[in-house]
Amino acid sequence: MKSTVKYALALLALAAAVAPIYWLVTISIKRDIDQFAVPPLWIHFQPTVRHYVELFRGGNLARSLWNSTFVASLSTLLAMLLGVPAAYGLERLRWPQDWSRKIGFWILSTRMLPPIVTIVPLFLMLRRAGLLNSRPGLILVYTAFNLPFVVWMMQGFFREIPRELEEAAMMDGDSRLGTLMRVVLPVAKPGLAATVVFSPIVASNEFLFAFISTQATTSTTAPLAMASRVTQYEIRWGAMSAAGIVAMIPVLVFAGLAQRYLVRGMSLGAVKG
Amino acid sequence: MIRTLRRSWPGVPWVVPTVVLLLALTIYPLVYSVKVSFTGPAGFSLANYARLLQDRLFLQAMAQTLLYTVVALAIEFALGFALALLVDSLGRGRAFVRAGLLAPMLLPPVVVAVIWRLIYNPQFGVLNGTLRNLGIHTSALTWASGERGALASVILVDVWEWTPFLFLLLSAGLQALPQEPLEAARMDGASPWQVFRDIVLPLLKPVMTLAILLRTMDLLRIFDQIFILTQGGPGFATETVSLYIYRTAFRFFNFGYASAMSFLALGLTIVFARSLMRLMRVSR
Repeated sequence: MKSTVKYALALLALAAAVAPIYWLVTISIKRDIDQFAVPPLWIHFQPTVRHYVELFRGGNLARSLWNSTFVASLSTLLAMLLGVPAAYGLERLRWPQDWSRKIGFWILSTRMLPPIVTIVPLFLMLRRAGLLNSRPGLILVYTAFNLPFVVWMMQGFFREIPRELEEAAMMDGDSRLGTLMRVVLPVAKPGLAATVVFSPIVASNEFLFAFISTQATTSTTAPLAMASRVTQYEIRWGAMSAAGIVAMIPVLVFAGLAQRYLVRGMSLGAVKG
Repeated sequence: MIRTLRRSWPGVPWVVPTVVLLLALTIYPLVYSVKVSFTGPAGFSLANYARLLQDRLFLQAMAQTLLYTVVALAIEFALGFALALLVDSLGRGRAFVRAGLLAPMLLPPVVVAVIWRLIYNPQFGVLNGTLRNLGIHTSALTWASGERGALASVILVDVWEWTPFLFLLLSAGLQALPQEPLEAARMDGASPWQVFRDIVLPLLKPVMTLAILLRTMDLLRIFDQIFILTQGGPGFATETVSLYIYRTAFRFFNFGYASAMSFLALGLTIVFARSLMRLMRVSR
């Protein structure tokens, strides 16, 4: 193929991927009358910030954004606290036969369960425990969502660290835990960072469980606040689009930070990027 | 006892917290839901499973889910692969093109649904607006809100959102290919097509398998986008298994029947994934 043809095709694909997102941006800054203009206005319109002002004046969205952030950070932290040692244990300690592989695979398989299967009993369990409609309930569930991901990512990163490093430290009388903290983790920093940055993407894109388990406004997360605006009877496109932009910014920021590890994250650590 | 445990299973304490949490939040609910699905008004009962066999709507939802999965996967794979090959062969600007192509996949599903509502709306959407401007009659083009086009419209959204995922994995696979066999084949006078078929494809197989497998699992459980975009409608046109289970559980509060359905769905997912793996002869 000639390279001009190639570039033309690539640009076409790029346009198809990006144009819908660009359209969302324009709707969020258009006045109401410009939104439905025929022919559609792609560039020439008078921008306004009205929809964003309206969005934040209600107060609920700011609150749901805070909820999202709070839930995502705490569940990421918890998942790291539990998952990093597990990954290290599976990767570096002795296991009879191939138990480390078996356990690792089981951990991953919990992630493959369709959420709708566990969501009904989980809902009933949380209701009985009084954790429905609450942030602790969501944090607990998201920690479980993130854990398999953390374990698999970190196992991959630990695998790449030369064993000699730890052996030297252990020779000097360090315990396993001490070695992990003082020798291994500092070396695995990029991996830790990638995993930490990726987990909130996983959590903030989760919709089903948050939708079902939190009807109260106090624990609503941002995707939900959005959805309720979308499914409301009377649709206000400007506000809806502004809400969409607000909901996607944190995810894109995190994704930008984790760009180098995108492949690894999206494939649950199975493909090196 | 504890000593032998410590000597031959030194890794156990490292893993226990993770395993316990996952048991409590995924396996226990699973077991619990088995129990609920076998419980009728008067104790043990098979009524929920008997009902499954006669539920036309469930069968329809199942058929639509499978159709959705197969069609979306085929298009996404073909497109993603083509794009991966195309972008891989680009010189300057490759990184830029790649980053742009990935954008749809990273958006929260809710945002994706909002975007496509803006596009598909028959009266005010940009799609019909553009067509009208070109002089095309749009009164019959209802996209996601008409019974006939709804499923196709929803599949198109999936293709837009998830082709980047296949593109991402496949182009990572292409980049990681060892160069020596490719060069050796070229030196021996193999045509580009021969190189592709006999060397690139076999080497890429593990990545292709993984990509297809991950995507299939996600497609079979599709919920978010459809729920926000069409709520399974109009009528029953875009109802999938997950939506139907959701409705049964949280609209009609029939948890027993919902559990029974989700088990059938789970079983089918496992069978589907297994046969896919066998089909592609994965050795892991």
